[in-house]
Amino acid sequence: MNQSADSGRPPAAAAQTARAPVVAKRAARAPAAAILLGAAAAVWSAIPGSPKALAGIVLFVVVTCVVGSALRLSLGWIPLPDSTFMLSVPIRAWLAFLGMIRVPPWEEGTVLAALWLEVLHPARPWHTAVLAAVLTAYLLATHLADSGASADALRPQMPVLAAGVCLLALGAAFAMLPAITPGGGSALLRVVAAIAVIIAAGLAMPHLSKRPGLSGRPAGVARQPRRATPAG
Amino acid sequence: MPDDRTELALHWRLSRHARRLLTLALAGIFIATLARRPEFAGAAAPAFLLLAAGRGIRPPAISVSVRASTSRTFEGETVTLFLSAADTGAGPGDGSGSGAEYTVRWTVHPGRGLDPVGAAAADGWRAQLLLRPERWGRRRLGTLEVVLRDRWRLTEGHARLGLPRLDCYPHPAEQRTRVVLSRLPNRLGEHPARSWGEGTEFAGVREYVPGDRQRSINWPASTRRGRLQVNMFAAERSQDVVLLADATSDVGEPGSSALDLALRGAAAAARAYLDARDRVGVITYQWGGVNWRGPGLGKRQFYKIIDVMLASDAGWVQGMSFRRLPRAALPPGAFVIVFSPLLDQRFVETLRDMRERGFTIFVIDVLNAEPPARPGITDRLARRIWKMEQEAIRFSLRELGIPVVGWDGSQPLDLPLAPYTRRPLTHSGARR
Repeated sequence: MNQSADSGRPPAAAAQTARAPVVAKRAARAPAAAILLGAAAAVWSAIPGSPKALAGIVLFVVVTCVVGSALRLSLGWIPLPDSTFMLSVPIRAWLAFLGMIRVPPWEEGTVLAALWLEVLHPARPWHTAVLAAVLTAYLLATHLADSGASADALRPQMPVLAAGVCLLALGAAFAMLPAITPGGGSALLRVVAAIAVIIAAGLAMPHLSKRPGLSGRPAGVARQPRRATPAG
Repeated sequence: MPDDRTELALHWRLSRHARRLLTLALAGIFIATLARRPEFAGAAAPAFLLLAAGRGIRPPAISVSVRASTSRTFEGETVTLFLSAADTGAGPGDGSGSGAEYTVRWTVHPGRGLDPVGAAAADGWRAQLLLRPERWGRRRLGTLEVVLRDRWRLTEGHARLGLPRLDCYPHPAEQRTRVVLSRLPNRLGEHPARSWGEGTEFAGVREYVPGDRQRSINWPASTRRGRLQVNMFAAERSQDVVLLADATSDVGEPGSSALDLALRGAAAAARAYLDARDRVGVITYQWGGVNWRGPGLGKRQFYKIIDVMLASDAGWVQGMSFRRLPRAALPPGAFVIVFSPLLDQRFVETLRDMRERGFTIFVIDVLNAEPPARPGITDRLARRIWKMEQEAIRFSLRELGIPVVGWDGSQPLDLPLAPYTRRPLTHSGARR
């Protein structure tokens, strides 16, 4: 840990002005990506269409959650005043709306509803695997949009994500294997096997992530301190 | 301010990002088990691995140092908060690696009347944040929220810390000229008096008498008159100035209310008269009682005066008496400068009483607000009556020989005082 070099600076107006277009462009990229990935997850989970009435309701929930998440990511940066006393009714309604869209867990709702919608229609395993990849990317993009970090922040997680994608493909492959015996036992055994593999990988991951190179830097070398970035 | 380190216990919890990943992982495994479809177990894999790999050592506490650039400031000036954090264990570079694995985010929640300059949050083990007090007062800077995040931002350790106190002084108005009494006490100072003395201002010539210094002989006058003439100089004296700030009513917009103007004007007058080597004291008149500080000299007196003024707060208490002031607070012959909106009748009566006791009083009217104009006939009539009452109060004070000048706070105090700074203010001959 090198704290001496890790010095936060007061917000310098001149420096902010010079870097403003770059920062604004980068700041707008992550929310846009998250919104697009959310829309893609909604569309992907909706096809092929299911005639069930419940599927329509769940699709409505998915769309609502995606829209709510998009609104939160687009308007969440607007600061809310501490006191709304003496403000006009339209402004108070607008502030109440801004406060309301921040509260619900839109992303969790999107994930749950999209997976549920995927269950409701007989999709092939690779279709579900693609949906899972899109949902994971959606959550990561939302995280980047919330934290204001650049995509480079995900670089140390790449090996773990790659392992996860491998397991994702393995899960889809498990599902595509022909059943040895007819009946539910064979399918359940495949599910248990897939879960066991994932849990085993999860238990081994903390030990593997400390090995050189897995976290993006050699062991024993401290991470370069991040410069303090003013954030409002 | 000492650089004290405080050990803060951290309350750890999952971040929002981790909760989302956990939702995906649990939902995938749950659906896979229920629907007996292994591909959903695979859907949980990336999120599950991220959560598993992101686990790390969570420090139970963090050592935080918070230092403000100053504990006393004037309105509108900026206060810098110097923030630094360290491990509570062996400190930075102890080999545990926890410091490198975590980032710190500081978020300041400013106290009442304080605004952040620029960002209210910053990242880094050391950071600086700027705050600006908008209005005078004695208050806490606010609270500081410290969030320690792991390298993948999956867990967050939260802690809160109270920020130090700040004394924000009213910003003194601009005043360079001074109103001086015509009769000054026999004490050395910088104001030319009417009596002769050892000053530097020429006062006239007189005939030489044995004992006069040779260097004071006025040779041109001596040549003209045929006898030796010597120069005479005005004595230089100082005066006792008592600033009387009326805190009984605080009307107007916050930031430019009557009390704000009264304190800013009093601070300006204190600075101006102390620069002229006068003895300056202060009395804040409020219904909670009277705060006062006897006249004194020097730069420290300025801050003592402002400290007394900071204690003033508009309120209402029945039965407050102004007659209990000791002689030290209001010495005889003192020049009393009053900053008041003249809204309280009892305060006006007090001024009349002081005038009858022989004090020379100068009133600076700081009322810059009026009742709201409403279209109703009753409202208009009430507003008109109120205005007439105000005019009557000011007229009655002028009739008693008390000058009343208005000041809106935006212009320098020299402008309303200009008619009275060119010549000495006539001292009252009444009894004391």
